[in-house]
Amino acid sequence: MKKLLIILIFLSPLLVQAQGFQVNLQGQKQQSMGGTGTGTALDEASIFFNPGAVSHLEKNGVSVGISPTIANSTFESSESQSQARTNSPVSTPFTGYAVFGQEESKFKFGLGVYTPFGSTIKWEDEWKGRFLLTKLQLFSVFIQPTVSYKISDKIGIGAGFVYGIGKIDLRRDIPASDGTSDGSAKLTGNASGIGFNAGIYLKPIEKLSIGITYRSQVNMKVNNGNAEFTVPSTLSSTFPNGAFSSSLPLPQVISIGVGVTPIEKLLITADVNFIGWSAYKELSFDYENNTSKLEDTKSARNYKNTFAFRLGGQYSIKENFRVRAGIAYQLTPVRDGYVTPEVPDANKISYTAGIGYKFADKLTVDASFTFEDFAKRTDTNKEANFSATYKTYIAIPGISLTYNF
Amino acid sequence: MKKIFFRTLYIAVAISIAVACKPKLETPSADKGSLDLTTYVAVGNSITSGYADNALYNAGQKVSFAKLLSEQFQLAGGGAFNVPYVGVNSVGIGSTRGARLGLTYVTDCKGVTSLSPKPIAASGDATIFVPIYAADGPFHNIGVPGAKAIHVVVPGYGNPANGAGNYNPFFYRMASAPITASMLSDAVALNPTFFTLFIGNNDVLLYALSGGAQDVITPSAGSPGVGFDASVDATLAGLTAGGAKGIIGTVPDITSLPYFTTVPYNGLVLDATQAAGLTAAYSSFGITFHEGANAFMIQDAAAPGGIRQITSSEHVLLSVPQDSLKCKGWGSTKPITTQYVLTTAEITSINNATTAYNVKLRSAATVFDLAFVDVNAFLKSAITGLTFDGINVSTTFVSGGAFSLDGVHLTPLGNALLANQFIQSINAKYGSTLPELDVTKYHGVVFP
Repeated sequence: MKKLLIILIFLSPLLVQAQGFQVNLQGQKQQSMGGTGTGTALDEASIFFNPGAVSHLEKNGVSVGISPTIANSTFESSESQSQARTNSPVSTPFTGYAVFGQEESKFKFGLGVYTPFGSTIKWEDEWKGRFLLTKLQLFSVFIQPTVSYKISDKIGIGAGFVYGIGKIDLRRDIPASDGTSDGSAKLTGNASGIGFNAGIYLKPIEKLSIGITYRSQVNMKVNNGNAEFTVPSTLSSTFPNGAFSSSLPLPQVISIGVGVTPIEKLLITADVNFIGWSAYKELSFDYENNTSKLEDTKSARNYKNTFAFRLGGQYSIKENFRVRAGIAYQLTPVRDGYVTPEVPDANKISYTAGIGYKFADKLTVDASFTFEDFAKRTDTNKEANFSATYKTYIAIPGISLTYNF
Repeated sequence: MKKIFFRTLYIAVAISIAVACKPKLETPSADKGSLDLTTYVAVGNSITSGYADNALYNAGQKVSFAKLLSEQFQLAGGGAFNVPYVGVNSVGIGSTRGARLGLTYVTDCKGVTSLSPKPIAASGDATIFVPIYAADGPFHNIGVPGAKAIHVVVPGYGNPANGAGNYNPFFYRMASAPITASMLSDAVALNPTFFTLFIGNNDVLLYALSGGAQDVITPSAGSPGVGFDASVDATLAGLTAGGAKGIIGTVPDITSLPYFTTVPYNGLVLDATQAAGLTAAYSSFGITFHEGANAFMIQDAAAPGGIRQITSSEHVLLSVPQDSLKCKGWGSTKPITTQYVLTTAEITSINNATTAYNVKLRSAATVFDLAFVDVNAFLKSAITGLTFDGINVSTTFVSGGAFSLDGVHLTPLGNALLANQFIQSINAKYGSTLPELDVTKYHGVVFP
């Protein structure tokens, strides 16, 4: 048995999802199963994955989880035959869910607190792309109160209001030298935005469940950011510190998913996500104090809409012990000519695995592991005339505790 | 079962750490292709020497495009590249004997303080003009400030006995034998396996820098030492005699350098009263002025009365005394004298010569089977601005980043960009894979 498990962990493709700057780490069970979860009512994380499925959860529960994300990118310039790496700190997307409902009631109420995007990318000092980016920290938390209604044993619907808060910290060097070092810019700010998340859950027959969800776009707006410039003193009036505003769209996502139970102990899941990344047309910074050298910037991003395909499975070895695995393929929204060191994105395959153990009647521990392998991508960013080859791995172990009552 | 759970968890964590390993990319390797880079010799003028900010000084020499090239060559088997360095602490010295320029706050005649180029010392460091070959030679960087194409083949180009103005003190200090050596003979004596020849700028530039008032444009025809074509042929014959391969760069269109483009032709800004006054003063010439920006008045012997307004295609040089423009009526009541102006006729002469030189250099590259880099085309592409790795570069004075404070020579960044143009052409011609320079490591004009 031990051996089998170890082999499972090594060989089973599980999945993870991080796409563009979005991370998809909203539930350990779902993460373990390739990021599927639209068509199942597995646990409290349905608040995120399908609010319609929340009404079909058997018990009330509270769940907390964390997914430390270890991302490493390597950059190479074929022109100068040099390389650079990221030394990004581990970021820690987390989740917290609570679901309550009277036993006889068809309503269930839920509250989700989760991290839809949150990552830090920090490139090594003096790297070739430092005038584009030295560090970008994005962090956000979405708070989603949710109502779900069980129309019947075969249909559930639900919706949640999303209030997002976040912060941004972007740093880059400025090519203005005092003879020993270059200048730098530091843009920090708090952001907020609103949206919603709605879904329908169908269970036409015992062995099949289906889900359809729509998560709206959330425009995270930075209204009173702080721009700080470190430049040679004679240029300080040219680069005045001051406020800036900006915004970052988190795209709408339409998902369809299914869960199939061919035999009692086995659950097979599949999801397709349509992600409306085309909303991310440009990254603009509107500075309060403009000068000849500090003009408002509009950098084209021109993302395209994209898809993710996910497949997962769960097998109950014992009543209280389950193993999970999955795989996902995510297409990049970043077109050729627009790859940036902020998000050295590419098509990627995610392999995921996980286990769940019920310690007692009420307490469950789920753990997942995700490994994302980004395709090697070579591109010349048009705006900066910056040629680069990138390769990225992301490893994400995660764990959650769930208390049901 | 609990045990299995925890063991599995433990293994998962171990795997996480293991796969957190950095992704690897294979680095392409520097290959010299069909080149022998053992002995690289750079023959040229001030640009090759690393002259910048109106002076030859140590920090500039360290980032000459030739020195930068040698460092890339060394990644593919290149040998030592010896440079006739000026002392690290020297203020440097220029062709006009001044110290190097630095940006500093200068208060003009109107009491307005602004950041301007100014020599960092009262005079240049003439102590560098002593022979150093015996102690430090031989030198692989035979870039001599002020050298024209016709000078390369002249024996005794560094001979002080020829008298001031008739010998080149920069060559005097580095020549193997100042009385007899030519730049070419010193280059050939090193038995080069590879060379760069980037020369010809001064054959038009020295004329242009003086507004056409001094010096003469080198003619294409004439024997070696007199005419451009024969001098280039003799130089290349000498350099390739031992089988060396090399690269030739074209002469840039010098009139697009900041030295010629910074002062606007219509910098004469007048109010209504001033305009009326000037119109009255020049009424006999039929020249009128209006409120706002007007073209400067210049001297031109060919014009009626010897004066006229400058046209938009002509240039006021960076050397024009700014205080005279601002406070002493230069360009308005006192027409700007000819040594500060390039007129259409002068520009035409310069353009014609430059075109002819570049036709010759291009054909010489073919005849001698050498790599060829069109520096002129690159400079022209930079006029409207280029971007490299997020750095915006243009031919604009100071803020453009490529040209140093003298408006003619390059900043470290400009040198790195130029070196990359050479590397691209070398790689294309010789099948080598020499790495380009990471231009982000080189700065533009330094701001205090």
